[in-house]
Amino acid sequence: MIEVKGLSKAFMDRNGEVAVQALEDVNLTVNDNEFLTVLGPSGCGKTTLLRCIGGLVPWDEGEIAIDGNPVRGPGQDRAMVFQSIALLPWASVLRNVTFGLELRGVHRSEANDTARELIELTGLRGFEKRMPNELSGGMQQRVGLARALAVDPDILLMDEPFGALDEQTRRLLQEELLQIWEETRKTVVFITHSMEEAVLLGDRVVLMSARPGKIEEIVPVPMERPRSANVDSVEGSKAFREVTTHLWSRLRDWQVDVGRARR
Amino acid sequence: MTTRAETALARVSTGQPRKRFNLRWITGMGPTAAALIAGAVVWELIGQVAGFRFFPPLSDVVARLVEMTLAGEILPPLTNSLTNLAIGFGFTIVVGVGVGLLMGAYRRVETALDIYVYAMLTAPSLVFAPILFSIFGLGRAAIVGVIILYTIFIVIISTTSAVKTVPRPLIEMGRSYCANDRQLFLRVIIPAATPMIMAGLRIGAGRAVKGMINGEMFIAAVGLGELVTRAGNRFDATSVLAVLILIILVAFFVVRIVQLVDMRLTRWLPETQRRKK
Repeated sequence: MIEVKGLSKAFMDRNGEVAVQALEDVNLTVNDNEFLTVLGPSGCGKTTLLRCIGGLVPWDEGEIAIDGNPVRGPGQDRAMVFQSIALLPWASVLRNVTFGLELRGVHRSEANDTARELIELTGLRGFEKRMPNELSGGMQQRVGLARALAVDPDILLMDEPFGALDEQTRRLLQEELLQIWEETRKTVVFITHSMEEAVLLGDRVVLMSARPGKIEEIVPVPMERPRSANVDSVEGSKAFREVTTHLWSRLRDWQVDVGRARR
Repeated sequence: MTTRAETALARVSTGQPRKRFNLRWITGMGPTAAALIAGAVVWELIGQVAGFRFFPPLSDVVARLVEMTLAGEILPPLTNSLTNLAIGFGFTIVVGVGVGLLMGAYRRVETALDIYVYAMLTAPSLVFAPILFSIFGLGRAAIVGVIILYTIFIVIISTTSAVKTVPRPLIEMGRSYCANDRQLFLRVIIPAATPMIMAGLRIGAGRAVKGMINGEMFIAAVGLGELVTRAGNRFDATSVLAVLILIILVAFFVVRIVQLVDMRLTRWLPETQRRKK
């Protein structure tokens, strides 16, 4: 269980004044085995929230605890998947997937066995020896996902992992992620700026607003699982439409406000 | 420009018989070879026709080089020079890359050292020759010192910026998988910085040869530098140019070794990011 209490973080400008209030009094609980999606306009601090949970950046106020233990840095209980994918360009697919395991001192052959399982699971079989620059964006992100799953974390932190992919690839990977999640049942925090993605994948959608980055609402997604086998009927369902319509009505108001404020 | 493939195609389509001699056989060796051949021809012609006393034709120079080699005048100084080069440039590779890595990774080390590094980079290295000479005497150490002064600062600077330009997301990724500082260095930062470090070493290799010859000519008369100086004192232009050719070959050879190591280490770079080598 991830507990975030009263989390605030500001980015300062050169004069030491607050330039952006990235997070303001964020309170959030993520249950075990839950798939939580975080949705918000760009600049709403959702990535910052994820990086705080990942222990990659310090924050100003508040607490983050995982199963009661305060977060003080990156930990072996969490693994991240990045929008930039961040594969090692000099290492093969196999070596990229074993990266986290090797850092932990897992023996090469054992790491290879684990990696092969995940390469299979993420649909990368036959690509073990390829280099990242020989792969499409979608295939690269499969490697990113396999690398994260290889260390068998309790929590998967995904920072707009499909944000840079084209629409078809994105849909395919959403389906496959659902499938993998249904098999592994990790706790997932998934950042996105796509409403449909947030609703399709999540058990709950955390809606954030920008400047200051705050949680506006947490919307439960009342759709049955497993969803991977019939994604189309899930997306055609009444519940799906209701939740996305609600989310859009909130987001649209802010977009309009932001537009007025700019003028 | 027609490529070879196109002319080959043309030949097939018109059914022309294959010509005995085709100028393309020469130009096809690449612009480098063509330029070298052209340069050699021009040198030979000017040498033969103009008859300047201090500009002998290429054929004389090459003949002299062979002659000197056979007389055993080349090998001992060449070995001597190459030893100096290996020690000096080896030191630069180890210490220069090491210091550069630290400067790139730790802000404090960088701010403490970079004023010295830049000052030393711009200062003409031979200014320090008398100091080296008085410390080490007329021996090998003084020349090795010159080689190091010629090469180490450029290597430090390029290694520092190599480390600083490692993509942030890669470092963050490493940290998120709980890499400690040592693991981050060995598994992320150094491999990612290798292409740029190697670029610095390529420049360094050329400067190392320059430093070696300058050291040998102006500090301690040994090695190839001594050979040039002696020939110069005799107004023996042919020998000077013969040794010069040898020195250029040495420089080319050294840079080539660095290039080969570079290509081996950075094979993972996509074709488009590779500088033409």
